[in-house]
Amino acid sequence: MSYVKVSRRELTLAEKLYLPSILAGLKNTMSHLLRRGDNEITTMQYPEEKWDLPSYYRGVPVLVKDEDEREKCVACSLCEFVCPPRAISIIPKQIEGVVEKAPEVFDIDMLRCIFCGYCEEVCPEQAIFMSKEYEICGQTREELVYPMDKLYELGKTLGTDGGVKDAPKKWETLAREQGQQGLASDQDA
Amino acid sequence: MADELVKLTIDGREVEVPRGTKVIEAVRDMGSDVPHYCWHPGLTVAGNCRICMVEVDMGRGRQTVISCNLDCSPGMQVFTQSDPAKQARQDVMELLLINHPLDCPICDQAGECKLQEYSFEFGADGSRFEFPKVHKPKHVDFSEHVKFDAERCILCTRCVRFCDEIAGEDELSIVNRGDRNEIAVARGGEMTNAYQLNTVDICPVGALTSTDFRFKSRVWFLKQTRSVCGSCSRGCNTTVGTRWNKVLRMVPAENDDVNQWWMCDAGRLAFKHTAADERLGAPMVRKDGKLVEASWDEALSAAVEGLEAAGDGLFALVSARLTNEELFLARGILDKVGTQHVDFKPRTWPKDDLLRTGDGNPNAAGARFFGIAPGDGAHGLEALAESGLKAAFLCGEDLDERPDDLAALEAMDFVLCTGFHETETMRRCASVVLPGVTEFEKDGSFTNIDGRMQRIQPSLSAPGSARPDWKLLGQLLARLGGGEAPRSADQVLKSMGATHPELEGLSLGRLGPLGKSLPQGESPVTEGENTVTAGENTVTEGENTVTEGASA
Ligand code: SF4
Ligand code: SF4
Ligand code: SF4
Ligand code: SF4
Repeated sequence: MSYVKVSRRELTLAEKLYLPSILAGLKNTMSHLLRRGDNEITTMQYPEEKWDLPSYYRGVPVLVKDEDEREKCVACSLCEFVCPPRAISIIPKQIEGVVEKAPEVFDIDMLRCIFCGYCEEVCPEQAIFMSKEYEICGQTREELVYPMDKLYELGKTLGTDGGVKDAPKKWETLAREQGQQGLASDQDA
Repeated sequence: MADELVKLTIDGREVEVPRGTKVIEAVRDMGSDVPHYCWHPGLTVAGNCRICMVEVDMGRGRQTVISCNLDCSPGMQVFTQSDPAKQARQDVMELLLINHPLDCPICDQAGECKLQEYSFEFGADGSRFEFPKVHKPKHVDFSEHVKFDAERCILCTRCVRFCDEIAGEDELSIVNRGDRNEIAVARGGEMTNAYQLNTVDICPVGALTSTDFRFKSRVWFLKQTRSVCGSCSRGCNTTVGTRWNKVLRMVPAENDDVNQWWMCDAGRLAFKHTAADERLGAPMVRKDGKLVEASWDEALSAAVEGLEAAGDGLFALVSARLTNEELFLARGILDKVGTQHVDFKPRTWPKDDLLRTGDGNPNAAGARFFGIAPGDGAHGLEALAESGLKAAFLCGEDLDERPDDLAALEAMDFVLCTGFHETETMRRCASVVLPGVTEFEKDGSFTNIDGRMQRIQPSLSAPGSARPDWKLLGQLLARLGGGEAPRSADQVLKSMGATHPELEGLSLGRLGPLGKSLPQGESPVTEGENTVTAGENTVTEGENTVTEGASA
């Protein structure tokens, strides 16, 4: 077996005493304690008050529908495949219409999710997004496996911003093209 | 085919191939590959997809040509990776994708789609085509088993040629013209041939998909296990795809000497029946007229007691669906008990000229080899009702569809049943029930109609405390005084050499992925039933078709 021998630096006397570090810490605490002014709030009245989260914040992954309230997810299972801790489980089903497939079951185990955002990145249909939802609590493990309904419900918290609903109306375009070419379109109105 | 060899250069390497070999075959023989959609080693050459372009110099300068329909000739120089060849393939890809729907997220073929693979490998990164795509019918039912999506079809005609050349029913063809070309079932009917799901396998894209497997799971989640079909004595090689401890699909695995690239639809869908049955998860013993769950120890003791008491008055029906290892152990048990009344139940299966043999027992040859047949003057299955025997051992078998025999069993003192699902026979007659497993849950080997031993491998785990049949039979044998119980099916096979010299030195590993034909004269097939001879004829026919196909 080969190994590398790492030589440790000798600590200086000041470091050995710890006192300078302790004093530096106390100084920092004091400075916060004595700070005053409107923009200098150091405590927040959570949960009445919430953080103003940056746009890149990654909270619970959620599912969204398009402008016509059509499910965007086609159960391609790419997110299930890419998810590093295997938090997602999907069972696809067949549906009527231009799109042939949708999820029957779509669960995300929030105890497993590490909020990496890979699912959002991989999704070819722009159906799953990282929301700003971070309050994840429950009393049993089962409760924390979020089912499809809950994920769609949480999806509404995204509103129309964040580019969620700007996605092209892919299926509408498809149905129109098919109609023009005289093919029976089986899209539900 | 003449044995004459021609010498040519492929990518700078000199190779010698028999005259008449196509360039694409020569390249494959070298161990590399030329991209191809329409070419299939089991079908005639169509040369319509144009993706197998290579550059060839025959002394008159280089030109790009398709390699699937070009005979190797002396002195020819082939360049499979030159820039013009690559460019030609990329151009073909661009044309193929002009009207392609790019359904990949919904398409069942994704993950094993050649269009995806080649696109990824050498396709352009965008389309220059600005007009709306041509739309064609989607999810059309070609039959109860096969669905067709005309938009995804690249018109390679593999399916058309398969139906015509292999299945022997010319039922698909191309209709309409130009970019409205699509595949249709002849005369607007349904596909009827018994091998139609093979078209789904060979369709290089997701145009033909299996209704049964449709949207069940993406293929990359499947655990793929090589095994052998247990529906008839041909023993087609299979790849079993499982997930969530369930079989989701079964597809043929290539084996030149058995099934080539094909298998019948009934065999590939047979796993559904196995899955649907009520499975046995624990041993049972009859107490006060009722079957109640018991521990393995209790059930095995009761079984051994009953077998020993029966002695030569035991009737044994041993299933020819068991593996060789299990049959060997069953034979050992019967020898210890000392009975001659041994038989297996015949099972019928459709029969045709391609693969199906008519014999629904996957290991009938093995059963004959291990002497699962009535001894001199003993009673076989046909004589069970009149035999007056007082004990029976139904090893992986039932008599549900034979009321007379059931009545005879009911009148017996002791009936031991093993099997993986609860049968009428068990409910009415069994004194002891030992739960075994299906062919998807155990290791072992089947001997097919031509005497080829092939390995089956487990792809699922068994329910409850059910044990692989080799294990429970081994434990029974050990308790009857037959030495130590085996720890694996492989160990059983290795121990067979002592009593069956022709199996000397064999192990499950040595059977290899394609199985092993025992040397002539030592074949475990004893000429027994006419199905054997008939079957042999059909193999030859099948092989002819394929050889013609590959060389035409
Ligand atoms: S954010 Fe990451 S861990 Fe969470 S579900 Fe998506 S892919 Fe899985
Ligand atoms: S990647 Fe997108 S479309 Fe695919 S299953 Fe996940 S959410 Fe649905
Ligand atoms: S046929 Fe292949 S390329 Fe076309 S949609 Fe299906 S997976 Fe994608
Ligand atoms: S359906 Fe499949 S096999 Fe048949 S022509 Fe189209 S792409 Fe080829």
